[in-house]
Amino acid sequence: MKKVLSIILAVAMLFSFAACGNTTDNDVETTVTDSAYVADNGKLVVGITEYAPMDFLDENGEWTGFDAEFATLFAEDLGVEVEFKVIEWDNKFLELEAKAIDCIWNGMTITDEVNLNTSCSDAYVKNAQVVVMAADKLANYADVASMADLTFAVESGSAGEAVALDNGLTTVGVTAQSDALLEVASGSADACVIDITMANAMTGEGTSYADLGYAVELATEEYGVGFRKDSDLTAKLNTFMAALKDDGTLQTLADKYELTLA
Amino acid sequence: MAVLEVNNLKKSFDRTEVLKDISFSLEKGEVLSIIGSSGSGKTTLLRCLNFLERAEKGTIAVNGKEIFNGENLKKTPESVIRENRLHFGLVFQSFNLFPQYTVLQNITLAPTLLKRGTPEEIEEKAKSLIARVGLTEKTDFYPCQLSGGQQQRVAIARALALTPDVLCFDEPTSALDPELTGEVLKVIRDLKNGDCTMIVVTHEMEFAKSVSDKIMFMADGVIEEMGTPEEVFGNPKSEKTRAFLNSSLEQF
Amino acid sequence: MDQFLRVTGNLLEGFGMTLQIFAITLAFALPLGLIISFGSMSKFPPLRWLVKTFVWIIRGTPLMLQLIVIYYGPGLAAKWAQSLGSSFFLIDWIASWTLMERFTAVAVSFVINYACYFSEIYRGGIESISKGQYEAGQVLGMTKTQIFFKVVLLQVVKRIIPPMSNEIITLVKDTSLARTIAVYEVIWQAQAFIKRDGLLWPLFYTAVFYLVFSGILTLLFNYIEKKMSYFRS
Repeated sequence: MKKVLSIILAVAMLFSFAACGNTTDNDVETTVTDSAYVADNGKLVVGITEYAPMDFLDENGEWTGFDAEFATLFAEDLGVEVEFKVIEWDNKFLELEAKAIDCIWNGMTITDEVNLNTSCSDAYVKNAQVVVMAADKLANYADVASMADLTFAVESGSAGEAVALDNGLTTVGVTAQSDALLEVASGSADACVIDITMANAMTGEGTSYADLGYAVELATEEYGVGFRKDSDLTAKLNTFMAALKDDGTLQTLADKYELTLA
Repeated sequence: MAVLEVNNLKKSFDRTEVLKDISFSLEKGEVLSIIGSSGSGKTTLLRCLNFLERAEKGTIAVNGKEIFNGENLKKTPESVIRENRLHFGLVFQSFNLFPQYTVLQNITLAPTLLKRGTPEEIEEKAKSLIARVGLTEKTDFYPCQLSGGQQQRVAIARALALTPDVLCFDEPTSALDPELTGEVLKVIRDLKNGDCTMIVVTHEMEFAKSVSDKIMFMADGVIEEMGTPEEVFGNPKSEKTRAFLNSSLEQF
Repeated sequence: MDQFLRVTGNLLEGFGMTLQIFAITLAFALPLGLIISFGSMSKFPPLRWLVKTFVWIIRGTPLMLQLIVIYYGPGLAAKWAQSLGSSFFLIDWIASWTLMERFTAVAVSFVINYACYFSEIYRGGIESISKGQYEAGQVLGMTKTQIFFKVVLLQVVKRIIPPMSNEIITLVKDTSLARTIAVYEVIWQAQAFIKRDGLLWPLFYTAVFYLVFSGILTLLFNYIEKKMSYFRS
């Protein structure tokens, strides 16, 4: 019993030390800002997944795409190298908080979840969720009401899933948007809800899913860049972004990758 | 001078006294058989002599030199105990051969580790011991390829390889089928003729009678009676001895 | 054909990572497990309890969680400590923690996890050896170390080969958890094909790599088992 008590006491003491530290916060030197941390490291570590046309590898194995080019420009502006790190998307906020990466920059839809877990930049690209199905069936399903009997493949946790559920559609969760397309192509789902950028890149003439297409847009969404909470890099990127918009650089990039600026 | 002298040995497990004040001595070349019902403390006595158990009180002396004293039990370092226990050899009821070694390797392992001569000398001695227990043709066999009686003979040879002053047997035939006990008892009998000092804990009354110089009857942790086979078997003084001998005769 | 070669090449690269995780885990967890098993059998109760509690924690939580704690934990703890702004030395020290390399974190997690599983197998093996073997060694004047290495060890090895081979083949498959913290092993590489090219078959193709490797291991264990069949213990 004595032992247990002493352990409890020791733990309590440790916490009170911590609490003491907390109250004297003001007279301790301010913590290092995020931009100073990145400058000190000499590199901006950008958390991505392979996701055309935002981030993908070119023939030389170099990262390219709208986000890759945009992030490279921002790193140049900060005066540091850019490093792209492919992460497990489920762990993106953990990666960010633990400083394994410095930002999440990968066509990330600004959602409540994102705002809750990151300090998110202004929107830079607009996107919509679209219903993709066999091109020859498109005419039969002109609106959401007509789709009640269909099964929709969606990426679990994606904006597409949220929109599908909001509209009362029957969904089957898969791990990636590309898997959702595969579900439709294989016939195991009638249709899928993915974002317009993806749909443009992967369906229609000259793609792996030539006989798929889309007509109905369900929701529009906007992409932002997530930084650590309280990071000063968010403001820096917003300023930088505004300048790029003004001088037309961002529009040129958007045209190159067939995207719509927010 | 006595080879072995044990004085006032006491040992208890928890609060049960298993050995209460045991004293006896043994002359060189003598064979002592310890008899008694199970729980009488005879196996514990043997294990105390071999330091598998530590007695709390009493002394053990070999060839006049004290090798154990309950008084300074705590102070005795492990290495000294290891040195001293080599005065004794022990043959177990369940043989305890090392299964991964051949007959020869079982016998040479300890002498090699203790550096008791060159590898050639050790092997030569081991082979002569194997011949002595009549297992020359089994030299390179593994224990699992031998019968129980053969395994026990190897165990005897293994104990002899370290030339102990006193060789102890803990019910050497109890784990054997009746038809295999004879070969083991014959080996022990042969050892007696070779002037080997031995202590045998046994249930084989006939064997104890014919091979022993002394018989010790133990009951409840004390030596109830000790004497020549003629004295103990022919004319037991104690009531307990008589009762024990009668009951063990009935078993046959 | 071209695509097949490209996929095979990428998967081989991923499987190289798988093999590295496997080899490093075995190389360190096998001896560490023995040390832990000694700790769990220690005659000194505080050490025994400490080790047993540790083994309970590691065996009682998912390896995936351990990976996350070991890789992200230091960074998160540092951030928390910094936010306290205390100059208490312990807090100061935690605030200075940084992340280790992803691969290092995988290696550390796997080694600790598997060492704990191995330690239980070792313990079972060691405790199954009869007291008589130790006593036979003792009365022949051997030291404890000699008894362990010359008498007990080989018998333990023989007894633990079946459970060990099980655990080691499980390890081959568990390496796929490394992708949780973005270490690109073979399954990650295969999933990249799904995400990038809409190719599903590379994922199934990885089974071939696992099967070939675990097949080789099975043959190896059968061989060792046969090698040791000359004695019974």
